[in-house]
Amino acid sequence: MPYTADISRANPACFLFLIDQSGSMTGALAGQPGERKMDRAADAINRILDTVVQRCSQGMDIRDYFSIGVIGYSTDSSGNPRITSALPGTSPDQPFLSVSQVADAPELEERQVRESDGAGGVIDVTRQFPVWLRPQAELGTPMCEAFRTASRALREWAAQHSNSFPPIVINVSDGAASDGNPEQGDAQSITDIQTSDGNALLFNVHLSEVSSTPIQYPDSEGALPQDDPFALTMFRISSVLPESSRNQATSLDLVVNDNSRGYVFNADMTALVQFLDIGTRAASNLQ
Amino acid sequence: MAMLKTRRLETAKAGNRPEECEDASGIRFSESGPARVAVSDGASESAFARDWARILARAFVRRPMPLDGLDGASFNEWLVPCEEEWNGVVPWGRIPWHGQAKTRTGAMATLLGLTFDPASSPEGGHRWEAVAIGDCCMFVVRDDALSLSFPLIESGQLNNNPPLICSNPANNAGIGERVHRMQGDCLPGDLVLLTSDALAGWFLREHEAGEKPWRTLMSLDSYEAWRAWVDEQRNGRTMRNDDTTLVSVEVK
Repeated sequence: MPYTADISRANPACFLFLIDQSGSMTGALAGQPGERKMDRAADAINRILDTVVQRCSQGMDIRDYFSIGVIGYSTDSSGNPRITSALPGTSPDQPFLSVSQVADAPELEERQVRESDGAGGVIDVTRQFPVWLRPQAELGTPMCEAFRTASRALREWAAQHSNSFPPIVINVSDGAASDGNPEQGDAQSITDIQTSDGNALLFNVHLSEVSSTPIQYPDSEGALPQDDPFALTMFRISSVLPESSRNQATSLDLVVNDNSRGYVFNADMTALVQFLDIGTRAASNLQ
Repeated sequence: MAMLKTRRLETAKAGNRPEECEDASGIRFSESGPARVAVSDGASESAFARDWARILARAFVRRPMPLDGLDGASFNEWLVPCEEEWNGVVPWGRIPWHGQAKTRTGAMATLLGLTFDPASSPEGGHRWEAVAIGDCCMFVVRDDALSLSFPLIESGQLNNNPPLICSNPANNAGIGERVHRMQGDCLPGDLVLLTSDALAGWFLREHEAGEKPWRTLMSLDSYEAWRAWVDEQRNGRTMRNDDTTLVSVEVK
């Protein structure tokens, strides 16, 4: 059965994040005055990387259960694609680091947060927050070129990890590709990549300024927002969640069915990296 | 009185080092008191889980758990020295950023403990009492047939969200509802197997398919044979790649 490979250091899984850093990402996020799409995109990536690293942390050490890459896409002033790799020491063709290398890479910001004091009250404490990516946005949206770049990098990764869980690509964008329609082959150049455990998965996190109703893992085009012109394409290029991921999603109290796709619209995407099983979870007791 | 012969086999998840195994087990015999056996499985996604599993397994065999009338309050009371020991093991001032939040949350582990009490034993046998939180399983085999499976009875009950014991008491609210108990008698010739969850899954699936999985496990006559067999099951995907523990108790 596909999508059931054990994830271990010998057979790591792979997350490749693609971040739209085009000018349209300076627009405000629907329903969130003062928050730009570029802010939400960077914040989401930082949170999701934090989640992945923490999942692999044993306290002092990290277990390298994942390869991780972060690719940004925009254009230069002449309209040429500008594809960059955000993690230190990487390139768009070789974007991957191990989780422990990712854990060494962030700037740590100290922030005041309010937490439960364990006795019914709350206290203000200082916590460290990791930041890998700063908001950035200018010019065009070469999403198709970004997909082709990702496809090349992933082909090499899949060849080196032929028995691993297939790569997962998470594309964060407002959907306004400026270099073509990714439905016409470029998205498929990612999902055609295979390991012995199945085809690569393409998930999309759609940040929109025209509709504020969050949507998670819709199962049909009818469930999409009618007022965003890019929702249909972003939905169509999103992979159907495999059974193993649906089971994990259900255990996280998310509502999914056999046709649900890896597509979220103005909604939290942290769960997307919780869909892979790396062992006994730690949260079942927690309120 | 019947004699108990025990054996313990353990191997880490493929890809991890042996010392990273988060399964732990304890076996303790006493001249006059009860014999105790325990298996604990640290939750991979929690911090310092290996230490916590070891502390729990060791505590169960060394320090009596008040099984009579055990409830959430008495279980939490029994846990207090374990929590203190874990807090003493954790290097709180040196934890890197990625381990801080989950260490504050606490380590998580399952526990299966079994007590054989000669004082209340039937003629020629042993009275036993078991306690389980989570998905480590025990199987009692009599006359070459499975006579008891505890706390899980079918493979479909296994998932990656088992009930867990936390090293942070703030996260053990309602634990009384997650504690399962069972008691029974065993007689000479009986075989009792304690396993962590991956092996329990294999065992239950084999039994559901009409096989006698205890025969396979008892035929593994060396650690090398055990390792080779575990590798074979993992490679053939008949057993999850996870830390794997077997403790067998033969009643002689």
